[in-house]
Amino acid sequence: MLELALEALKTYDWGTDPKVLLPIDEAVVTTYGNAGARQDLEAKLAACLTTGVSRDAKDYVCRKLMVIGTAESVPTLAGLLTDKDLSHMARYALERIPATEAAQALRDGLAKVSGATQVGVIGSLGVRRDTASVPALAALLNNADASVARAAAIALGDIGTAEAAKALTDGKPTAPEAKQAATDASLACAEDLLASGKKAEALAVYKSLVGDGQPKQVRLAVTRGMVACAGK
Amino acid sequence: MDHKTNPSRRQFLQTAGAAGAALAVPYFVPASSLGNDERAAPSERIVMGGIGIGNMGSGDQNAFKGRNDVQYVAVCDVRTDKRDAAKGNIDKQYNNTDCKAYVDFRELLARPDIDAVHIATPDHWHALMVIEACRNGKDVYCQKPETRTLREGPLMIEAARRYGRMVSGGSQRVLEDYRDMVAKSWGGEFGTIKSINVNVGPLSQICNLPAESVPSNIDWELWLGPAPWAPYNPGRCDGNFGTGGGSWRSYVDYSGGGMTDWGAHHFGGATFAVDVRELQPAEVAYNDEKGKNYVTLRYPNGLLLHHNYPDRANLQIEGTPGEKREPKPVPVYKGEGGIYGDFIHSVKTREKPFRDIELAVNTVVVSHLATIAYQLQRTLKWDAAKQEFTGDEEANRLCDRARREPWVL
Repeated sequence: MLELALEALKTYDWGTDPKVLLPIDEAVVTTYGNAGARQDLEAKLAACLTTGVSRDAKDYVCRKLMVIGTAESVPTLAGLLTDKDLSHMARYALERIPATEAAQALRDGLAKVSGATQVGVIGSLGVRRDTASVPALAALLNNADASVARAAAIALGDIGTAEAAKALTDGKPTAPEAKQAATDASLACAEDLLASGKKAEALAVYKSLVGDGQPKQVRLAVTRGMVACAGK
Repeated sequence: MDHKTNPSRRQFLQTAGAAGAALAVPYFVPASSLGNDERAAPSERIVMGGIGIGNMGSGDQNAFKGRNDVQYVAVCDVRTDKRDAAKGNIDKQYNNTDCKAYVDFRELLARPDIDAVHIATPDHWHALMVIEACRNGKDVYCQKPETRTLREGPLMIEAARRYGRMVSGGSQRVLEDYRDMVAKSWGGEFGTIKSINVNVGPLSQICNLPAESVPSNIDWELWLGPAPWAPYNPGRCDGNFGTGGGSWRSYVDYSGGGMTDWGAHHFGGATFAVDVRELQPAEVAYNDEKGKNYVTLRYPNGLLLHHNYPDRANLQIEGTPGEKREPKPVPVYKGEGGIYGDFIHSVKTREKPFRDIELAVNTVVVSHLATIAYQLQRTLKWDAAKQEFTGDEEANRLCDRARREPWVL
């Protein structure tokens, strides 16, 4: 049944009854704990990604690799990051595969893409809270594409380290949407610093956000944070 | 790699929120009277807009627009017919044409004159929009189920607490549909409650409907938003309430199916009745007995929440009736006008609403945990403090899904 389903992938497209792929869904469950069977399934699925199967079939494969993918599938998935139609579904898997190779693939992909595709890669690095990408993200805070700059700010906020906080404070993005995102990200970093007892570092971040031009909700967050910094 | 949301940050926001309560605006101050914006004289009305004005959204709109303490000024929908109907509804209410209609929710949220928004888009948009609304200083009434994935809930709570926003989830049924059971339960009639059962479903499914031409009256890219790209098909995006196919509520990229859709009501009512609203389960046990699958969620206080327990009715409680227990007062809405009035009351007073986002998230967490247990067909342990499954890397992968560019959460 599994072999039939894998064969069905070759002609699978939007409009095909998805029940033909149920044996693959079942195999994802039944191979849990069976390293050999799982490895075999992963390899067969990943192999589809470099063939001429439809976009829909590749979409399906990436959804399965999201669950069972390992470092073995990373090179194949990484190769899809620059494909504007498949980049998202490659990230669908890469973002959730814990292997360090997946993070490296996303970091490597960052420089190979631009625009919306780059925004996606940035977002996935942020979700992974990938501390190694802080310098690369910092360099994008004033990217000519404001959506890229905004995404970089959000990702730095997700990462939340002192290094990320410094990058946001030093970066000072100017595009309005990036600036708002950087403010939010800085607040997130300050909260992380405060929660881990680094009051002095947190206070420095909050002080950098003080200003009459800040909207009321930011002034509230900053004031609350500074009060917390002053507390025991 | 660290997919986890940051538990320390959340803990800080909880305590900072309490400690900083005195800094919050203690009474409603209209947006037009704050800051240095160039506006007309202050109004006593809360200025509102709506995002996603379909089947549920139009009901929410009608509830808010008729209030004397609300001035409804803007609507947003990616469908032309819904957008036009929503604007027409407001124009008729006020007998003018002042209501502004938007396709892109970001433009509505950027308006400094808007105090609060209600959101009733498909579920895959909720987290992004709620967080963006909070960043823009808006209070939010968000339809249930409030999240599509486990990762989204803490991020929404963080945003609400960070900016001191009132964010209400949207299940009016939690209080209104189960009053009798809640009254009995909180009144001590069931004694010590051991378990409660919820029958709800189904899970959502993959959508593989064939491609059709995109009609001119929908912005398909914006409808999909952060969900994976797929070709247009009317059955993929229909807003009917079905969960068996032919509606977005049926499909995994936009919804958790009946498990989250009606689950928000039934799990919400159940957890309210047995008073575990403020908790999340510690374990979800997968059971496969005599061909029947069901899960049992165990709370840290020992309470068992069954899903689809064989031969048990929906909301059937197992307790020790006859055992004397002191009754407790039942939390109720504040303000006038049901859950909508409760939200408006929270906007005015800055007291958390009945369906505060944290309580709403705790409910939909139940749906998500159960769904993942069914998908993987095994028992899982959930660490609510860390917001991760203990010892199950595969389950942790299912806590979130990558968003389609350019959408970032």
